[in-house]
Amino acid sequence: MSTLEVEPGAAPESGLVTTDTLDNFDEMSCSLEEIKNINPSIEDEESNDNAIINEHFDETVSNDNEVASVDDDFELNKDWIGKDKHVFVLSMAGKPIYSRYGNEDKLAWLFGVMQTLVSFIQSSDDCIQSIHAGNTHFVFLVKKPLILVTVSKTRESESQLRIQLNYVFNQITNILTLTRLNKIYEQRQNYDLRRLLSGVERLIDHLLTFSENEPSVMLGAVQCLPLAASVRDTISSAITGACSKIKNLVFAILLANNKLITLVRMKKYCLHPADLHLIFNLVQASESFKNSESWTPLCLPRFDASGFLYGHVSYLSEDCQACLLLLTVERDVFFTLSEAKQKIVEKLRRSNCLEAINESLSTPGESSASAGFVEIRHYLYKCKSTSQFYQPILSPPYTQTKEPLTRIYKRAHHRLHNSSRPLKLMFERSADEAILAWDTKGFELFVVFEPLIDTSAAIMLVGRLLNWIKKKEERLFHLNAPTF
Amino acid sequence: MASRKKTLLKVIILGDSSVGKTSLMNQYVNRKFSNQYKATIGADFLTKELTVDDRTVTMQIWDTAGQERFQSLGVAFYRGADCCVLVFDVTAPNTFKSLDSWRDEFLIQASPREPENFPFVLLGNKVDLEPRAISAKRAQQWCQSKNNIPYFETSAKEGLNVEQAFLAIAKNALAQQNSTVDLYNEFPDQIKLTNTQKTSNNGDSCAC
Repeated sequence: MSTLEVEPGAAPESGLVTTDTLDNFDEMSCSLEEIKNINPSIEDEESNDNAIINEHFDETVSNDNEVASVDDDFELNKDWIGKDKHVFVLSMAGKPIYSRYGNEDKLAWLFGVMQTLVSFIQSSDDCIQSIHAGNTHFVFLVKKPLILVTVSKTRESESQLRIQLNYVFNQITNILTLTRLNKIYEQRQNYDLRRLLSGVERLIDHLLTFSENEPSVMLGAVQCLPLAASVRDTISSAITGACSKIKNLVFAILLANNKLITLVRMKKYCLHPADLHLIFNLVQASESFKNSESWTPLCLPRFDASGFLYGHVSYLSEDCQACLLLLTVERDVFFTLSEAKQKIVEKLRRSNCLEAINESLSTPGESSASAGFVEIRHYLYKCKSTSQFYQPILSPPYTQTKEPLTRIYKRAHHRLHNSSRPLKLMFERSADEAILAWDTKGFELFVVFEPLIDTSAAIMLVGRLLNWIKKKEERLFHLNAPTF
Repeated sequence: MASRKKTLLKVIILGDSSVGKTSLMNQYVNRKFSNQYKATIGADFLTKELTVDDRTVTMQIWDTAGQERFQSLGVAFYRGADCCVLVFDVTAPNTFKSLDSWRDEFLIQASPREPENFPFVLLGNKVDLEPRAISAKRAQQWCQSKNNIPYFETSAKEGLNVEQAFLAIAKNALAQQNSTVDLYNEFPDQIKLTNTQKTSNNGDSCAC
């Protein structure tokens, strides 16, 4: 199909870990160990003062006889039952930690049932994976010391659901580190983990919405803010210049609007997209970062699940809403990093980079029609070697609601990655649209066409599209992997 | 650290079959009693909220099956319990004799950190029935020999002492929780940074 020699967006080096989509999430590494350092330091208490959001579930126990009677203190009302996707987190002892909907205290009985299902299968040296009842999928992720369960009526595949559960697990690790999580339960199996997670419910809620709606999670990739290559390079070198003398700085990440502007890293270290997604989620869900510079410990489980990195988090300026994170292994260098940040902002202002960022943020971006592809409604292109993807902005009929499009992509994605019968290429036409999905060594592509397109036209368009992306790659992708 | 207002306690109810475990729980949670006997299959779960010294406590009650064929679920049920309630029938001497084995079994399976201090509560149920086979004194003696387990005589049928017993259960479990130093301060994460180079995550995936 394509005459391209190198797939669009590919680069000799990448700051992001290369991902296959259905990544093995069990792997966590321990990069911190590698980073040379002086003294082992002792951990502060976390400063996660985020307000506890108490989701007060409406106890509108209905009068309907089909629904559980008031006598049962269950939260089985229609509203609750009707939710598309429930997510539960519990300890191995069956104590509730998180429920996406409803009050987990009131649902304590249900957590007991879940724990029993897991243990019952475990007692025969096996592990429960899933239960399927009609259109409802119960997917379990038993990841010591926690159990994660989703009950989903969305049409996502089991592996897509399991990835989301993994993200939830990683979010908890992100706050506590895996080491601490394990130690807690080694010491006390009956621990009520909610004590340490107040405020984190909100991050998990946000993460679930993120993982459902953003193609980045499905693809295991990140999208970059479109910028001229020269601007991106100037930004990277401003960061390098201000930070090169700072010891033990591991990553500098600049992002805006859920898109990556640049990532500068310590030599030898890469960031996993899943870790970067946690950072995106943290920034998006925390309004408080907008008001002041923050210093926050965070564990990036794919980078190192055993310990914390410390992050200086701040928005560039009042007039430029890009968020800068400087991540280090040192726990007391706030002021050093704060100074570095000031230097970076000054440099960016002098070189007009702030304006360039703002301009890119304020332009709506190109639709595929405006790029000359009228028969293509939307597409996702992922370059595997750099774990980056690009998508045009939404155009009709998906501007009202994105949901059908997300569903089309998830379904196609599942067809390509179905473990029992994966496909390399598929083209499928329905009354509503046509979809072409293509998995190659270098990239993954999902294109949604107008329904009347024929096969040869579709193939021709895909070739043209790839050429177009290739031509624009410097703008759409972060092709360098700068280091300090 | 700011302790969360809400507390959840996992409470396990153990005892021979038909001593009234489910009835006690039903009386406590739903204020209902039925003379009909229905054996519990595996386990039943109920939730009850109560206030103890201004603290809202949720009890997650694990009502286990007394019948032996369900014992294989033991480890799963006992793991991470905050309190264990032992129940016998004051009119049935065999159910009293089994108490030792229930207690031992629990301690073995749950393996709590300090077995001698683990909170148990003993309930002598069916005091509304005659003839009585186990005297209060005998039951109390057993309790004393086990590091002073609190003892309550209850009637699930008449709702006698049930509230009080469960309140004591909650208090006991809470006392145990409070006596333990907070884990948060116990385990500061020490980041051990060394010079050793390990291969970072997915082997060759990182192109740098």
